[in-house]
Amino acid sequence: MEDVFTPLDCLLPSGKQKICLLILNQPLDEDLFYVLWRKAAIRACADGGANRLYQLTAGNQESFVPDYISGDFDSIKPEVKAFYEEKKCRIIQTADQDLTDFTKCLAILLEEIKRYHLQVDTVVTLGGLAGRLDQTMASVETLFHAQKMTELPVLILQGSSLACLLKGGVWHQLRVDTGLEGEWCSLIPIGGPCLTVTTGLKWNLGT
Amino acid sequence: MEDVFTPLDCLLPSGKQKICLLILNQPLDEDLFYVLWRKAAIRACADGGANRLYQLTAGNQESFVPDYISGDFDSIKPEVKAFYEEKKCRIIQTADQDLTDFTKCLAILLEEIKRYHLQVDTVVTLGGLAGRLDQTMASVETLFHAQKMTELPVLILQGSSLACLLKGGVWHQLRVDTGLEGEWCSLIPIGGPCLTVTTGLKWNLDHQVLQFGKLVSTSNTYEPHGADEGKKLVTVKSDQPLLLINKYKLELHGAFNTCA
Repeated sequence: MEDVFTPLDCLLPSGKQKICLLILNQPLDEDLFYVLWRKAAIRACADGGANRLYQLTAGNQESFVPDYISGDFDSIKPEVKAFYEEKKCRIIQTADQDLTDFTKCLAILLEEIKRYHLQVDTVVTLGGLAGRLDQTMASVETLFHAQKMTELPVLILQGSSLACLLKGGVWHQLRVDTGLEGEWCSLIPIGGPCLTVTTGLKWNLGT
Repeated sequence: MEDVFTPLDCLLPSGKQKICLLILNQPLDEDLFYVLWRKAAIRACADGGANRLYQLTAGNQESFVPDYISGDFDSIKPEVKAFYEEKKCRIIQTADQDLTDFTKCLAILLEEIKRYHLQVDTVVTLGGLAGRLDQTMASVETLFHAQKMTELPVLILQGSSLACLLKGGVWHQLRVDTGLEGEWCSLIPIGGPCLTVTTGLKWNLDHQVLQFGKLVSTSNTYEPHGADEGKKLVTVKSDQPLLLINKYKLELHGAFNTCA
């Protein structure tokens, strides 16, 4: 079974993918934010991601109210929480300490997509690839969990990097002609050894 | 075989470990830099790491000349290279594109240690854990290579995180009582599943498999201890190499900001 996907379609204003947006607790890339926010069917923050949103949209926060904020709330500032709550944003406490705020936020998103029968192609996450390395590893762990939770691709974007966990056992056909692709790409066998074949790279594998 | 190690000993001015220092192309933590530079038997930069050194020691660069700078030199600035070359720093071009500048810099270091019969306990690397994620993964890859190149522990420090790849099949006894340990530590099965046992952590592993998609021990911490007793030893055994990442807090401010 082949899987044709354009990872950076989500950043094209004219892009075809219907997306949802999750915001994590990392510095927000302003340019990315506005493109993605506008296209997203559902927008959510995981805990301190709400602080980041509040700060980035200073002076105009009421125009950028997420659909929900979820998490264990050990990072969100009280005034930020109060502000969004007053603007009718749903505040969903998720206390499960075995799963990260990111994983839980994604779980809620998938429930919402199902409940409202939304047509969604991609989940896009802002933040999660920088900061503490172990927290980045936790983001990658969420990508693994995501593969058991949904068929939807889950992307993480931060600091000019896009991360996407390619499912095993499937031919992935990745379109890289949006014009937004940078010069490098990497394949990281992060869960364990990966018997790999590629085409289209400068240094292909398995050929 | 047991292996007793104090990861943060290298940051203690009174620490016992004899270290060597590698500087990679990442923003340099100033406090760390001065503590480590002073203690290091050999100091080296990988390519653009020399730019970072030059910038941090601005006004006093001649007091902080590395023993060598190696790399493919696509990052080092010409004026920086010229400066250190003029100060008799060895400039070693390593063109092999299959290995990163970090790996090659480490290989040269190990040759030097051998050539001069140096007594060294630990290799400490500044930078390598932040910036582009794939480059961080390349640093981790160097830690894997390092295990085939040397018995010496190779540490990477940046941004309050210390990373160390714990060899598989060995009981590691980690002293975590330097006073510099932060509150969190993580065990990341980055190369594949790791059947793991630990003691001394808040959430210990009892012959459990750490594996992406199943269980990854992030934001773990140390076993609670009484106010008058230090943190216990942390012991870890895994059947495969396991990446330890823990927080350090350096509370020395400017105490060692002097000539080498």
